[in-house]
Amino acid sequence: MNEHANNPVDEPVDEPQDPLGAKLRAEFDELIKHYPEKQAVLIPALHRCQEDLGGWISPEVMEALAELLELEPVEVYGVASFYPMFHLRPVGKHVVGVCHNVSCDLRGAEDILERVCQVTGAAPGVDSADGRWTVARLECQGACTSAPMFDLDGVYHENLELDDVERILGAVESGNEPN
Amino acid sequence: MAQHETYLLDRLEHDDSHTLDRYSKTGGYRAIEKILKEGLTPEQVIDLVKRSGLRGRGGAGFPTGLKWSFMPDVAKDPRPRYIAVNADESEPGTCKDRVLMERDPHGVIEGILIAAYAMRVDTAYIYVRGEYRFAYDRLLGALAEAREQGWVGQHVLGTEFSIDIWMHKGAGAYICGEETGLMESLEGKRGHPRPKPPFPAGFGLWGQPTTVNNVETLFNVPFIIDRGPEWFAGMGSEKSKGNLLVGISGHVNTPGVFELPLGMSAKTILEEYAGGVWKGKELGAWIPGGSSTGFLPAHMIDLAMDHDSLKEAGSMLGTAAMIMLDEDACVVRAMEVMARFYDHESCGQCSQCREGTEWLHQIFGRIERGAGRLEDIELLTSLANGMAPGKTICALADAAAIPTHSIVKNFRHELEQHVEQGCCPKRRAPQLSGTTA
Amino acid sequence: MTKIILNGEEVEVDPTKPLIAACHEHAENVPMYCYHPGLSPVGSCRICQVNVKIGEMPARTVVACRTPITEGMIVDTEAPAAHDARRQCLEFLLKNHPLDCPICDKAGECDLQDYAFAEGQGEGRSVEPRRKLEKRKSLGDVILLDQERCILCSRCVRFFEEVPGKPQLTVADLGARSVIATFNDRPLEGNYQGNVADICPVGALTLKEFRFQARVWNLKKTRSTCGECSRGCAITHEVLRGNDIKRVRPRFDPEVNQYWMCDRGRFAFGALNRTDRLEGAALRVEGGYRAVDPTEALETIADAVRTTETVAIVASPWLTLEEGAALLELARSLDVTPSVVTLPSSSLADDLLHTDDESPNRRGLVELGFAPKDADVARAALAGADVAFLVGERGAALLGVDELAALPRSTRLVLFDETPHPAAYVQLGVPNAAERAGTWVNVDGHHGQIAAAKPAPAGVVPLERHLERLATAFQPAGGSA
Repeated sequence: MNEHANNPVDEPVDEPQDPLGAKLRAEFDELIKHYPEKQAVLIPALHRCQEDLGGWISPEVMEALAELLELEPVEVYGVASFYPMFHLRPVGKHVVGVCHNVSCDLRGAEDILERVCQVTGAAPGVDSADGRWTVARLECQGACTSAPMFDLDGVYHENLELDDVERILGAVESGNEPN
Repeated sequence: MAQHETYLLDRLEHDDSHTLDRYSKTGGYRAIEKILKEGLTPEQVIDLVKRSGLRGRGGAGFPTGLKWSFMPDVAKDPRPRYIAVNADESEPGTCKDRVLMERDPHGVIEGILIAAYAMRVDTAYIYVRGEYRFAYDRLLGALAEAREQGWVGQHVLGTEFSIDIWMHKGAGAYICGEETGLMESLEGKRGHPRPKPPFPAGFGLWGQPTTVNNVETLFNVPFIIDRGPEWFAGMGSEKSKGNLLVGISGHVNTPGVFELPLGMSAKTILEEYAGGVWKGKELGAWIPGGSSTGFLPAHMIDLAMDHDSLKEAGSMLGTAAMIMLDEDACVVRAMEVMARFYDHESCGQCSQCREGTEWLHQIFGRIERGAGRLEDIELLTSLANGMAPGKTICALADAAAIPTHSIVKNFRHELEQHVEQGCCPKRRAPQLSGTTA
Repeated sequence: MTKIILNGEEVEVDPTKPLIAACHEHAENVPMYCYHPGLSPVGSCRICQVNVKIGEMPARTVVACRTPITEGMIVDTEAPAAHDARRQCLEFLLKNHPLDCPICDKAGECDLQDYAFAEGQGEGRSVEPRRKLEKRKSLGDVILLDQERCILCSRCVRFFEEVPGKPQLTVADLGARSVIATFNDRPLEGNYQGNVADICPVGALTLKEFRFQARVWNLKKTRSTCGECSRGCAITHEVLRGNDIKRVRPRFDPEVNQYWMCDRGRFAFGALNRTDRLEGAALRVEGGYRAVDPTEALETIADAVRTTETVAIVASPWLTLEEGAALLELARSLDVTPSVVTLPSSSLADDLLHTDDESPNRRGLVELGFAPKDADVARAALAGADVAFLVGERGAALLGVDELAALPRSTRLVLFDETPHPAAYVQLGVPNAAERAGTWVNVDGHHGQIAAAKPAPAGVVPLERHLERLATAFQPAGGSA
């Protein structure tokens, strides 16, 4: 099911894998100390899992978090599905979220989105055929005075002109991170 | 440009404004030091904040000192108590807290220290919207510096005052900016706002006394302590004191976040700070304080930007996030985008909000595409009346109803034109409307 | 208790409960969807709007399920503002509802349908397409989910959280995209799933077993007590046209089961609908049985007893107190101490309702004077007697149909049971738990009534009648035993 969490080849395949891994577990053990109740760690932990474990939250990860935080898996699912930032299905290698709220809309967000779709071959809800790109419409990202904008893999790109799109997306694809 | 005293963004002229070094050199942590060294009591601190007239900058404009005084007397109620800092800035048009967190994070931290001292709180959480990764990292870095220097931790300046401040990341839900939704989210749950009563001061995080304050609100506090409540109350308008971060976006030449005294006219802000409407066009419509405050017609641009003036005009100051539409922009389209937003962001608990926000979105979408009916206009009003005011657990339904009423009241003619012409008169071609992925 | 003014009358109400409970106690019709008296109130559906005036404050329209009771509050459930708010709320709830009442199992007992009838506008104002969602989503062996009918009241979510105490359902996603879901489409588990169909205010969660079985208005409902364990949950037997039980549902009993029952009890009614019943009475004859008049059967039994040394009496723990008393009377006249069969400890025992005893009246019978004996001991007692009485529904099944067949030839088995058994010397049919009235005493000593929900098979009369006639035969007046 979890095709994105590649197992290192040198590990024995018959051992049940810990979906979280020792590093994240150590982080979460530390985070738990910040709160009077373990459940408070859930949303920060989901973020860290999504960042480190292939860009999405698999059912296996939800079960492991449930066990760690003494919850039922269905509670973790209810929470994870509430928050738009969490992907509960695999995503492309790069995720572009284009803000389409009022301030961005007034300054050409739909044109930016169209260009993003052209450049990536993806569309909201449909990843690019090569699996490299996920494109999403986003609600207000708090970049209204620097509209229009998109978020590329967690980094804001603001004051966009149409011609910026290809350059920024091209740079991340060729491995040169844009600034 | 009119001259006025500034303080909120002064430090930002330095590239290293986010560092402890720069903060200390420019008067940073002087206010908390004064409180601790002079031995001000928590009650005295609350009194200073009350006297300053500071009102919350998160949208509701509630007097901050009064809010702090709602926390129970620690002698009678020794339960653990918390501060939750609302850094879940997500009201469309609003991006001012982001500036403070990214560029002056120590100012936010010092505000928290003073609030914690005043309310005898020893644990605070900064709930930052998940998308604000840079702001989160800046605050995290500043907290590390502040801990290192002993401003945050056990026995600050060797006194009995101890404080832990923890960062907490949200995950993209607008409703978590509502204070009880924020608390549910911070507890690791779905961000469903809680019915009130009980109120957070008695039953907040984990059922304990809690105060939720906005970033900009707390950011003002060190200045009030340092320079005195009279200094603060000398700025702004009669009932809205101090300076305010005003964001102005949309069809203007120089969009941005500006520090302005409360009560400045919107027209002045538009013309002198935002460089006027872009492309030499006329103003068509405007929103004074974020999407929930509704659309005003161009002729009302003379309004003063403070709580009471806008309330009198049937709107709200909200988060002072002005959005400008030029004469060629379609307000119905802008409303459709807004309705889509509320549809996307309703938590779904309350029937009227869950179904009503979707319904409004569908109707505005239909009208904008040219498939509207004249009776839809009355239906919009009727639905908005069914959703608000005060009919749901939180104010999200109100936030969708207010702009709806404003369109019907102020821009009825445009709705009728859409229906009569069977298309958007300003955009001509039938439009496809997206849904948020 | 606290005094409030409810629709113009001063009433005393319980201040620990929300206002809606007070309204309902005084028979005021305040609708509810998310509120359920057995679950924590969340105040989310917003349908239970009433007008409340406290002190000098102007009257406000509030949801009654989240409004605490305060002394002297003035409550108006019929205020125009409250009705308006409810009507508006209802319109939103109906906007995406599929209105497939003709094929909905909930029709006739649906809170949405009932309230739409009472308050609805008669005409929808929406021209938008209705939401398309999954209409037949299996949530396991018991429950089927129709996402389109769901109004997201979250009662089912709270039920699993608060009653069995292990969350299994959640509202997934948010806003208008919300749906009820399990984790990763897992089936629901446990012995209490059926309750969510009872508490679902609409036809979103229905019982697979009841699907298209009956229109609920054709069901005759009879109050009774569940006989599947010694909790004795208060239930209703629902019978279609005087014939078969189609559904069993829990009935509120504050001392026993509150609003709930287990699935084992809920779905055990198949046995009560069995048609392979022992009708009337039968005597063993060469090569089989001869149907006889009960009087002849009873005389045969009396003769057997009179001409023998040892008599044993074993009762089923399904006997009612009334049946037990009649049997005890007979036993006394024969100078025999009767036994009651005890069942092995149940693996389904939990800390909610289901006990470790899967029979309903052991306690009642033991208190009457029956000696508890497990099946092996009871069977040995029968085997050691010349005339062995085995009395009450399920008796043969409890002692083992095959084991009974192996009773010594010298033992004459007198069987009062629902189904015939080839080892019986004389056998008489008895009504089952849905065919007779009486009392069971549950594990805590609570008396639960059972009642006849449907007629017994032809020739089957209440057991007490047989036992009383038999006892009369051994009365001193009739000659010393």
